[in-house]
Amino acid sequence: MTTHAAGSESYVLFELAGATYALRSDDILQLEMVGEPTPVPNAPSWVAGVVSVRGQVIPAVSLRERFGFERGRWDLRSRLLVVRTGGRTVGLIVDSARAFARIAAEEILPVPEGVAGLSGRYLRGIAQRGERLLLVIDVPELLITEASAEESAAEGESPAPASAATPS
Amino acid sequence: MAFWTRDRDRQPDGSGEAGRGNGANGSARVAPAADAMRAAAALWEGSEAQRRLVEGGLTGANECAQSLRQTATQAESVATSSEELASSANELAASIEEMTATATGLASSIAETSSAVEETSRSIGAVASTAADMTAAAATVAGGVTEMAASIKSVTADTENLASSVTQIAAAMEETSRSIDGVRTNSDDLAAVAEQTSRSIASMATATEQVAASAENMSGLAEQVATAVEETSRSVEGVARNAEVITRSVESAATSATELDRSMRGVAALAGEANDISRRTTRDAEEGATAIQRSLDGLDRIRSSMAESASVVKEVGKRAGEISTIVDTINLIAERTNLLSLNASIEAARAGDAGRGFAVVAEEIRNLADRSAKATADIAAIITALQSVVQDAVSSTAEGRRLADDSGRVAAEGVAGLKRILTGVEQSSAKVGQITRATEEQLAATQGLATVITTATTQIRQISGATAEQAAALQGLVRVTGQMRGAAREVSEAMGAQEQSAREITKAAQSGATLAGQVRRAMAEQATAALQVSQGVESLRRGAASTSRALAEQSAAADLIAREADGFRRRSASVSTAMSEQATAVSQIARATEDMRRQSEQTSKGLAEQARAASDIGAATHNVAKQIALITRANREQSETAGTTLETFAELQRLGERAAQQVRDAGLLRALGDRARPNVAAPGGPASRG
Repeated sequence: MTTHAAGSESYVLFELAGATYALRSDDILQLEMVGEPTPVPNAPSWVAGVVSVRGQVIPAVSLRERFGFERGRWDLRSRLLVVRTGGRTVGLIVDSARAFARIAAEEILPVPEGVAGLSGRYLRGIAQRGERLLLVIDVPELLITEASAEESAAEGESPAPASAATPS
Repeated sequence: MAFWTRDRDRQPDGSGEAGRGNGANGSARVAPAADAMRAAAALWEGSEAQRRLVEGGLTGANECAQSLRQTATQAESVATSSEELASSANELAASIEEMTATATGLASSIAETSSAVEETSRSIGAVASTAADMTAAAATVAGGVTEMAASIKSVTADTENLASSVTQIAAAMEETSRSIDGVRTNSDDLAAVAEQTSRSIASMATATEQVAASAENMSGLAEQVATAVEETSRSVEGVARNAEVITRSVESAATSATELDRSMRGVAALAGEANDISRRTTRDAEEGATAIQRSLDGLDRIRSSMAESASVVKEVGKRAGEISTIVDTINLIAERTNLLSLNASIEAARAGDAGRGFAVVAEEIRNLADRSAKATADIAAIITALQSVVQDAVSSTAEGRRLADDSGRVAAEGVAGLKRILTGVEQSSAKVGQITRATEEQLAATQGLATVITTATTQIRQISGATAEQAAALQGLVRVTGQMRGAAREVSEAMGAQEQSAREITKAAQSGATLAGQVRRAMAEQATAALQVSQGVESLRRGAASTSRALAEQSAAADLIAREADGFRRRSASVSTAMSEQATAVSQIARATEDMRRQSEQTSKGLAEQARAASDIGAATHNVAKQIALITRANREQSETAGTTLETFAELQRLGERAAQQVRDAGLLRALGDRARPNVAAPGGPASRG
């Protein structure tokens, strides 16, 4: 939401299964250490459980599983990214999140045709920093996709315009 | 003359008848004075003839006496020969005695040699079989010596018999002497038995023939004696050869003993070196034991210091673990700082331009946190490496400790081994000491052996000398026996001459009165000769007795030798083990001793042969004595006969005197007749008769 000069935006960079992802800092409420999530019955496999963050109980999603990787173990470097979108707060468990960066809009390249499809819906684009490639993630799309799989019945189609806006 | 010669035997009667016949014729027709004259002349002629006959008889008797004197001289020379023979036998016996003594010395030398060999063998102890052989050989020696002793004993018995025979001969000779004296005393009375002269002279001839036969026998015996003496000479030569062989053997034994001495000195030197070496080894082993003990102590110290360092390393590991915990804490703090700075950055970005400075601060904080996280990561890596190193140190310390334990055990085993080495060295040192002592004893024994061999050499030289003396004595004996042979031959010849003389005596039966006196003188000389013979026989007896004594001593010496040989055999039997190196030398000595023993045996054999020869000589001497007795007996018979002859001659003398008286009476008658008838053909009768 907040736009800086020269059309660049702030991103929090995080690691997951050997790749670096970038998430807009405006989408992130805060970062937390990963405690022990309390499992909930009949939850999808990628929902690790629920955690308490600043007095609020939120679901914690294992982004590895959400992206189709192995779950892995949580350690000192693991982080819980607390995001809020569409009035809902969700915790995303990643391998680590240690850097903060500004990325210009023109740096973000579109996702190639071959990798489009299901994963293409979460990716806004790919930015290059030196030798590293940053996968820029679209949080509302990610959560909408979740919601469509999880709460499609309860929620309306409010995020739809966002999803329509992303591929462009 | 033929008539007178034929009527010689009856001459005295004849002259008597002639006297009476002349007396009868004197009373015949022819003038008695002339008859008486013729008768007186005839008588005178008869008495002249008788006188001549008596003279002839006297000459015959003289010859007979001469012959008897010759016989006496021969008997004397026989006696002298016997004496020389006896003294030679004595010399031989003494020589044999000396030789036996030397042989005894040699045997004792051999016994000493054997005892020395025994000592050597006891020290080295490996010549049991040799010792057995020696024992058997000693038994053989003992048997040989025993046989020698038996032989000497039998010789002694023979010699004693000889002595008793000689004694008997002496007694007989004395009796003969006495009898001859009696004969001389009675010779005057024997004149009365003149008519037995013929018979007696015939028997004398017979006796003379017997004497001749005896002389022949004696000659044969002298030959036997000569043969025996030659045998003895040969035997003595054999002994001399044996003595030479013994000398060679003893020399080889001396060489062997010298070699043995040298070898033993080498052994002694080696034993001394071995002793030094074992002493050095003992010292080295003791130093080694001390060194090993020191390294054991050092290993103990190493073990304790390793334990200390192990505990130190464990402490280090513990501290590293503590550091690791602190580092974890720091890391957590760094992570949280990073988290906080990120949150701050997020807030600053949300604040827009207002948060720009705050964002910068957050960025710096995040950088610091990252650096401290990186540093803690480095520290953690270092700590991990340190812990692995500590782990390695702990395990290597354990390994080192195990190695130290092993080394300690090995060192302890080394100490035990060194102790065993020390024990072994001590034992071998003791053995070497024993060897040294044994070698010293053997050296002493070898010295004794050398002395014994020297003694043996000396004794063998003495034997050689004695043998040479014996040979010389035997040469003398041979010469004497040759003389004896010659004397016997001369006796034989004299006997032949005697026989001849006896025949002549038989022919000249009417021997004169002086013959009897000469016979008596001859008898006296004979008596003297018989006395001399008796003395000779006495000395022969003494010689035989001394020979017997010498033989008895020889026998005793032989017994001693036998006992010594037995002892030698017993000592030899106890021989046991010995060193093999010296066994060769010992066996050489044993062989040399065996040679010596063999030579001793041969010497003994030679001695036995000599003893046998001496016994033969004794027997021959005995026979000579017997022959002398026969001669003596014949002489006595001759003496008796001569006595008879003497009587006959006395009778003849008496008759002659009577006839002379008658002749004197007849001469008186003739003077009366001459005065009565001076012109009667007194000269005619005798002239025609003459």
